[in-house]
Formats: sequence, structure tokens, C-alpha cells
Amino acid sequence: MNDICNTLNLGVCAVDAEGKVLLWNDWIAKHSGVKETDALNKPLEQIFSEPVSPSFLAALKNTLTYRLPVVLSTALHRSPLPLHNVSGTNQQPSRMYQSITITPIQSQRDESCCLIQVTDSSTSIKREKMLRAHSEILKKEATTDGLTDICNRRFFDAHYEMAVADAKRQKYPLSIFMIDIDFFKSYNDYYGHVAGDDVIKRVADALKSQLSRATDIVARYGGEEFVLVMPNLPQQVAKQFAEKLRSAVFNLAMPHIKSQTLKQITISVGVCTGIPENDNNLLNKADTALYQAKVKGRNQCVCLPLSEAEEYLEQ
Amino acid sequence: MNNLSDLHIDALAEVFSIGAGRAALSLSEIVGDEVRISVPSIQVINSKDINSATLLLNDGRFGAVSQYFSGPFNAEAVLLFAEDQALKIVGDMMGSQMSIEELAEFEHEAMCELGNIILNACLSAMADIFEFTLESSLPDYTVASADEILHRLKTNSNQPYVMVLHIDLTIEKRHTAGNLVFLLSSSSLDSLISHVDQFLGKIS
Repeated sequence: MNDICNTLNLGVCAVDAEGKVLLWNDWIAKHSGVKETDALNKPLEQIFSEPVSPSFLAALKNTLTYRLPVVLSTALHRSPLPLHNVSGTNQQPSRMYQSITITPIQSQRDESCCLIQVTDSSTSIKREKMLRAHSEILKKEATTDGLTDICNRRFFDAHYEMAVADAKRQKYPLSIFMIDIDFFKSYNDYYGHVAGDDVIKRVADALKSQLSRATDIVARYGGEEFVLVMPNLPQQVAKQFAEKLRSAVFNLAMPHIKSQTLKQITISVGVCTGIPENDNNLLNKADTALYQAKVKGRNQCVCLPLSEAEEYLEQ
Repeated sequence: MNNLSDLHIDALAEVFSIGAGRAALSLSEIVGDEVRISVPSIQVINSKDINSATLLLNDGRFGAVSQYFSGPFNAEAVLLFAEDQALKIVGDMMGSQMSIEELAEFEHEAMCELGNIILNACLSAMADIFEFTLESSLPDYTVASADEILHRLKTNSNQPYVMVLHIDLTIEKRHTAGNLVFLLSSSSLDSLISHVDQFLGKIS
């Protein structure tokens, strides 16, 4: 019987009606660092060099008084008893996360006593943490563009929908910036795809560096196209911001001898600002603005209001 | 059934409100904040008359913590909470250490403990007031739909009576309503009533 008890891969300890230890198995001796001979007949709370948690003592007292079984979960208690995970190395042993059950039992002399069973939940916590870390990575990968490390199209599509719904509900303006690198195809053809990728990365960094509010996002929309979503900007400010984006890329001064504008990498920016209503589409309008910027000769910004009425007022 | 008077119900309500107070105290110690539990109503009905309105069950899934206990009378005690509410309670109890998504692994065990605290508090209050000793199994946690729960209660021919306690639980300003259901055989109900009678005899 003793052998079985000592072979168990869980902590087993029994206490009598006064809380004195009657049984102390090898597992609990190993993890507490207290030998069976030093534990027997001593009050449980005085055996350890560190304190036992008050909730454990309350639970034990309850079981001894009412003879009802008690569960102490890892989630709510973490580590009620000063038990440690023993590692082979010289590292400081870490405190063990535990699940504990306390059940009333009858001793041979028919006295009221309690059986305390302790299991190590460290492994399941470790597994939980590992799975969580994996899922964080996957979540990030699923929404990030591999080349530029900014948000990807999938993230933008979801974010755009929410941003429009929020702006509509709370009636504030939303600005969408569509951005395209000018003559990018000729750049790729002349300098090669590796250099082309590098331009996309540097433009993405330049655009991202202009953002300072947590509410703003920049995403890679497609090949050499980017999109920015910024809530709560008056149209005039959105226009100035578009200009800031254009000059940030211009100031990178990356040579592009095949460009028909300035022999360096430039962007065109189309912006649409407005409070979203039912049938109008900010994204389409921003795309129209971008097209106009291209037609007007590239390396410039065109800003369109969302509704026709506002457009007439502007003119 | 007919021999259960308003006086009996009042006495039981008194006992369970003491139990609820004890449970609230234990939970407060774990949460480190005020926890309030009240038992606004008690009903004893025939289990075939039980329906979703009696238990205030709506659609969705429920977490059930059950313990079988024995002594002067035997019963199965089941604590029911809507699953999403139950998760929020456990989330509150655990503080900001973990989010609901991260709870999965620990949810069952923590729900067992929450149920165990409330059930034990009610059982120990009965034991103290009616002066008897009850023995109990360890708690089990299951998740089931309202239909599954009702089916289980109705088809339990050994225990044709149910005592239903509506429970209001407030932890850190979050209100939750649940039910504590005792499944009783007719002899167990008789025994419970006779203990209530003895208790009423002592105080009158």
C-alpha cells in the first residue's frame, strides 16, 4: 500500500482532525523538500518554510468541519502550497502550479481526517502558453504583408468595413488615401524585381513613419499600391497630410531613370474624405482621385470630398 | 408536496440565504473584492412540471456543476449558469491574469471550484441548522443545452421532485443569475420536510 502511494505521480497527503500530517508520499516530499520523517505528526501549515495560502487553510478547515470535498483550481489559486518543480540543473526551482482536491476520509480508528491530492498543472499551463504564442504568431502572419511588414489586404478589407461602420454611426469624417508608385513597372523592368521589392519596402516604411495615431493604418493594397485609413480628419488636414506623404517618398530620393516625371521614385495620392452615408463609396472615390492625380502628371495629390454637394461648395 | 407550507419555504429560504452569505464570503476572499449572492426565490415542484420558464432558461448553452450528496436525505445538487455568463464570472474571478480566450484549459476546473464553493456553502448551512452531517461527491462540470438539462430533470424517475433556488450573483459589479437545483426522491423530500419541522419546532 505504501509502495503504491509512493509510486503515484501526484502528491498525496492525509491529515487528522487537528490538521496533523498522517501520510506524506514521496512525490510531495520531493517537491516540498520536506522528508516524510520531518512531516509526520506535525501541523501541515508548520511543515513548510514558506506560508501556505489562506484559501487552502480555509478549505482544509471546511472539509474537516463539514466533511464536504473541496476543489482548488489552478485558475483561481495558482500555487497554494509551497511546492516546486525540481529541475536537474542548478537553476532556482520554480514554484509549481497546482490543482488540489481535499476529500474527507475515515481513519481506521474512525476519526475524521482528510485526504489531500495535489497534481502539477505546470505542463498544461506550458502547453496553453505555447499554443497561445503560436496563435499570436499565426494571427500576425495572417494580417501582415510579408514583404513590407505593414498590414495586408485581408486586414485592410476587415478594418475598412469596421472603420466605415464606426464613422457612419458616430458621424465623423473618414479619409481614405490611395497611393500608387509612379512608373513602377518600368522601374521593375529596368532595375529588376529585387530592386523593385526594395522600393516597395522603402515606400511602405516612409508612409508608415508618417502615422502617429493608433487609429490610423497603412496597408499594402496590391502590387505597388497602398491604402491609408484615417478617421476624424477635416478635409483640409487630409489634403495637407496627403502632401506630407508625397514629400516623404520624394525625399527618399531613390533614382528612377526610366521615370517620365523626375528621374526618381515618386508617388501619386488620391484622397477622399467624408462622413460615410448609404450609397457612397469612399474607396471608389479615393481611387477616382488617384486616377486624376495620375492624369494630371503624377507626383501629386488630388483630394475629393465624398458627396457631390460638398464638391460644388469646394469649387 | 401538499405538506410543504409557506412556513417550510420561508425556513428553507433562511437556510439558503445563510449558505449564500458563506459562499459570498469565500468567493470574496478569492476575488479580493466584494461578492454578493442572494437567493430571491425557492420553489419545490414535481419534476414533470418543470420547464424552461421555471429555470429561466433561454437558448444557448449552460454550464452545470453537480454534486451527489447523501446523509439523512440524498439528492443531486446542480448549479446552472448560462455558459457565456459562467465564463465571464470565472474571468472576473481570475482578474486580468488571463483573457476569456485563454480560459479554455482552466474553465472546467475553475467552474467546478465556483460551483463547489456555492454548493458546499449551502450544504454546510443545512448541516449546521438542521444539525446533521452530509457527505458529498466531488463536483462534476458539464456543458449542456436547455433542452438537454430539462430532459435530464424530467426523466429522472428516482427523484421526482426538484427544489429550485434562483440565485443572483454579483462579482465586481457584474450581475449573473443562475439556478441551484436539488433533485430529490419522495422519501428524501419527506426527510427534508421533517428536518425543517424539527427546526421550526425548536424556534417556535
